[in-house]
Amino acid sequence: MPTAFLPEEYLPIVIFMVIILAFGLGTLAVGIVLRLRRPYQEKLLPYESGNPPVGEPRYRFSVRFYIVAMLFVIFDVEAVFLYPWAIVFDQIGLYAFVEMMLFIAILVVGYVYAWKKEAFRWD
Amino acid sequence: MTLNDLAPLIPLMVIAVSSVIIMLGIAFYRSRAFSGLLTLAGIAVAFITLFGVQGTRQVTSLLILDDYALFYIGLILAASFVVALLSSDYLEGRRENIEEFYILLLLSTLGSSVLAASTHFVSFFIGLEILSVSLYALIAYTRNELNIEAGVKYLVLAAASSAFLLFGIALLYGETGTMEFSRMSSGISAQGINKGMLLTGFALVLTGVGFKLAVAPFHMWTPDVYEGAPAPVTAFVATVSKGGVFALLLRYFIQVDMHAYPSLFGAVAFIAVASMFAGNLLALLQKNIKRILAYSSIAHLGYLLVAFLAGGVMRVTAVTFYLVAYFITTLGAFGVVTMLSGKERDADAVEDYQGLFRHRPWLALIFSAMLFSLAGIPLTAGFIGKFYIVAAGAGSALWLLVIMLVINSAIGLYYYLRIIVVLYAQPGHSEVSAVSSLPLTGSLVLVLLTVLLLWLGVYPEPLIEMIHRMTMRF
Amino acid sequence: MIPLHWYLWLSAVVFMVGVAGFLMRRNIIIMFMSIELMLNAVNISLVSFSRYLDDMRGQILVFFIIAVAAAEAAIGLGIIIALFRNKVTAHVDEANEMKG
Repeated sequence: MPTAFLPEEYLPIVIFMVIILAFGLGTLAVGIVLRLRRPYQEKLLPYESGNPPVGEPRYRFSVRFYIVAMLFVIFDVEAVFLYPWAIVFDQIGLYAFVEMMLFIAILVVGYVYAWKKEAFRWD
Repeated sequence: MTLNDLAPLIPLMVIAVSSVIIMLGIAFYRSRAFSGLLTLAGIAVAFITLFGVQGTRQVTSLLILDDYALFYIGLILAASFVVALLSSDYLEGRRENIEEFYILLLLSTLGSSVLAASTHFVSFFIGLEILSVSLYALIAYTRNELNIEAGVKYLVLAAASSAFLLFGIALLYGETGTMEFSRMSSGISAQGINKGMLLTGFALVLTGVGFKLAVAPFHMWTPDVYEGAPAPVTAFVATVSKGGVFALLLRYFIQVDMHAYPSLFGAVAFIAVASMFAGNLLALLQKNIKRILAYSSIAHLGYLLVAFLAGGVMRVTAVTFYLVAYFITTLGAFGVVTMLSGKERDADAVEDYQGLFRHRPWLALIFSAMLFSLAGIPLTAGFIGKFYIVAAGAGSALWLLVIMLVINSAIGLYYYLRIIVVLYAQPGHSEVSAVSSLPLTGSLVLVLLTVLLLWLGVYPEPLIEMIHRMTMRF
Repeated sequence: MIPLHWYLWLSAVVFMVGVAGFLMRRNIIIMFMSIELMLNAVNISLVSFSRYLDDMRGQILVFFIIAVAAAEAAIGLGIIIALFRNKVTAHVDEANEMKG
């Protein structure tokens, strides 16, 4: 069996969650009890900082958002390999260092490729 | 771990490095010739370095470069060399910027080679994903409507099948406490194993692998992807991707003895019979060459599973020889389709081939040779392959399976002969057979494949001798 | 200590939610999200097995699964965008040129 952990250690978190829940619901309840109710038509419109809304809310996004998101996801997730490497770095020595540098070098090639293909350019 | 331990991996590294160099090259200066030649050179160098692999072949617990792995990697490299040659002329004029095709081709070759060498579930998973993630992009590469539809179908179904496979791996890992193939069998025989969990794990892994191999009942994607993908990529899907997975499956079930699990054995036998019948019967209904070849490949994987179920050394010989014959034949058949394809669409309707013999006698003869081999007619490699499968099946007294195989070969003969009859009929009104001139490299490749096909059909001893030597260690 | 089978039940339930979403929804992006859900269910069970067996290998596989899922999502989004440009739809039933 791995190290046993006791539920008691998690007690502060449970208390914390209960307080958060109580605070959130409590504030809402106080609002419902105390506030005035005067419904009229304009209140149902979407809030646009006081301006009347223009056009449909569901217009198409530029495809560039997806490309940026894709690039972000790829380069972001590769960092997952850096964390375990960094934690044991002092025990595994030069070999692992070189290996990680190779890994990063390959990522840099990918980055250069994306850069030269102008994937980071917005217009 | 020292650099010396990594030496057996040089063939795989050559492939990986060439793809990185091509990517860097494209970033600064696009050149079709550079990418194409570097790809061919990379594959050739990797192939040559296969002969230099010596010393401790086990690289960590993940990969082993034994003779078996080297043979399959060699086969995979040869097949992707042929695909690279075929696609250079095919891609011309189909879309701009075709250099990236070669990066993807090299990466998927790498993935398939990793599969052939892996002895661990982690390397299995990584190899499989390198292979399939590059395949998604390859299938949708020329970006017409059919390509993208095929790409989307393959993407969604392959990703789902990977999830099943992983769940199976997780269950097997949880039960046996290891992900190494060689230690798994001792983990299985240990006390206190939950049989139900173990079999669920096996079933899920089999689902994932079965999808990649396109065996019934996981074959639904095959005809659509074969039809939609560009013809050279179809050849690649049919050969390289299946070859790597099959090599792994064989290694896995040699180390974890499948015969100890009657239910598992029964499941694979069911898959074999279902694939043979589904492939051959559905192929009868098709009017599209690529779809016919897709269903025929389902049936062929069914035949392979019959040999796979047989025990003993014989099965490795039978499976390996059959796979070599299948590779040559499939590459040849899709090579002909590639060569005849016009820019608007691939030459995949049966009518396109009507009277091909009058326009292009050599191409028609080559195509007939490939179809004869698929049907298993004597004097072709396909016949010897089928002979070995029947021998392996009979040697293990799998009579029912062998009878099914013979029945199915007879059904298969019908639709192969139907195409051959069309080839020699009066010419119809087809624009495809009037393609101006055939590219030289492609023609040479096809001639070479045909020579190999007939040579193995008449004089198979050297190859069989080689396979025997390679499988001594099993 | 929370027993192992609780984690496994959680993982199995999440996996089945993913399978159900994959089979029942027809929007390709939601199907893709369902697949991600299935992969994350696998991650739950791998991590819990890994802890139960006191063996790091399961967690290492989880790292690779995360990385591969990201690569798959990137390629998948690319192909879905290409489908969208051709068809202006993310509905899989619209991609039905090939039958038989």
